[in-house]
Amino acid sequence: MSAAGKDELTEPRQKKATELSEAEAIERAKLGDAEAFQALYDKHKRRVYSLCLRMTANTAEAEDLAQEAFLQLYRKIGTFRGESAFSTWLHRLSVNVVLMHLRKKSLPVVSLEESTQGTEDDSPKKDFGADDTALAGSIDRLQLQRAVDDLPPGYRTIFVLHDVEGYEHNEIAGLVGCSIGNSKSQLHKARMKLRDLLKMNRAEKAGKSRVG
Amino acid sequence: MNCVELQQSLAEVEDGSTLEQRAHLRACPKCSALLKELSLIVASAGELQASDEPSPRVWNSIEIALRREGLIRPQRTNHNQRTPLPSFSARWGAARWLVPAAAMLLLAVGIYERRQSLPAPTHEEAAVLTPVNLSGLNDDDLIQEVAASAPAMQGQYEENLRRVNESIRDAQSLVNENPNDEDARRSLMDAYQQKSMLFEMAMDRQ
Repeated sequence: MSAAGKDELTEPRQKKATELSEAEAIERAKLGDAEAFQALYDKHKRRVYSLCLRMTANTAEAEDLAQEAFLQLYRKIGTFRGESAFSTWLHRLSVNVVLMHLRKKSLPVVSLEESTQGTEDDSPKKDFGADDTALAGSIDRLQLQRAVDDLPPGYRTIFVLHDVEGYEHNEIAGLVGCSIGNSKSQLHKARMKLRDLLKMNRAEKAGKSRVG
Repeated sequence: MNCVELQQSLAEVEDGSTLEQRAHLRACPKCSALLKELSLIVASAGELQASDEPSPRVWNSIEIALRREGLIRPQRTNHNQRTPLPSFSARWGAARWLVPAAAMLLLAVGIYERRQSLPAPTHEEAAVLTPVNLSGLNDDDLIQEVAASAPAMQGQYEENLRRVNESIRDAQSLVNENPNDEDARRSLMDAYQQKSMLFEMAMDRQ
């Protein structure tokens, strides 16, 4: 064993929270170590908070939900055995906290429409792509963020879970309680809607710069 | 396959890789542009992961809740790591417990008053419910303590102190306006309890 390894075993309390490995932090958090709780929070806070913020589009709600997700995690941390990645566990728990919140608010976590056929409102438009404000190059992160915030809640949930967080359609179907086909359909519509919103935003900007 | 069918089919096969889709995309520049734009959105979406930082209030609230629920337990401290400044406990000795004690006293008085169900508080009771003199302990001491023992946390503590002081002020003004308002009294006591918790946390960091 290396000298450094020995030091880690003999003087575990001397480590700062920022120096803790995730495995060490988890074991120390199980013992009620405040620094370990904070180390785990610092490592995952941005991902959890961003997930909550994207899915609610509301800063205060996102903060409350991130707090609730971490509290639930810490209450259950004694049961964590490491069979699955800690981050996977935390993010799944965070998604469930947000979905529960949306359900309590009676917001649709997913549209009731079950098939991949569009409704009248959402059916493909024959003039799509007719406007000349093409989304070329790259998309500004803040613009995309705003556009995601403007999505209807049902579309937003599926888009965030799939395209931002990387969940597969079968996982999303299990999480939100819909069919895989519905998840695919909602995702496609969410992307089409986002494209419209981003184009509108670009057209507005172009108009303003022409006037200016 | 026409444009509408192509667009519908993208829900199932999003990269346009089927034979039918490819045949249409080769012949239709608008659909081809649509597919590129959707791909651009998908590629950009990953940037939204972990893009935002929560305010310090979130961790402070979590820490307070963890202590309240007893999930954070006292750890063996390392006495070899001394800060150049005298510690809060060294400077204040037994007086460092006055703030939590004052909060507990407020709580006890509040519970007693509710049990007695007096119609209106007397001047003496009102005096008990006003902010106690913290025997010289003040926010500057707390911040100085945190700055010495955990500089990285100073901003969080300052922000949390500001918020808890605001809560105390708001609750106090409600109690002053209507001394019989049970909710206002409870809010005031909760706010003091939160403040005492902050002092406890600062002392635990030594």
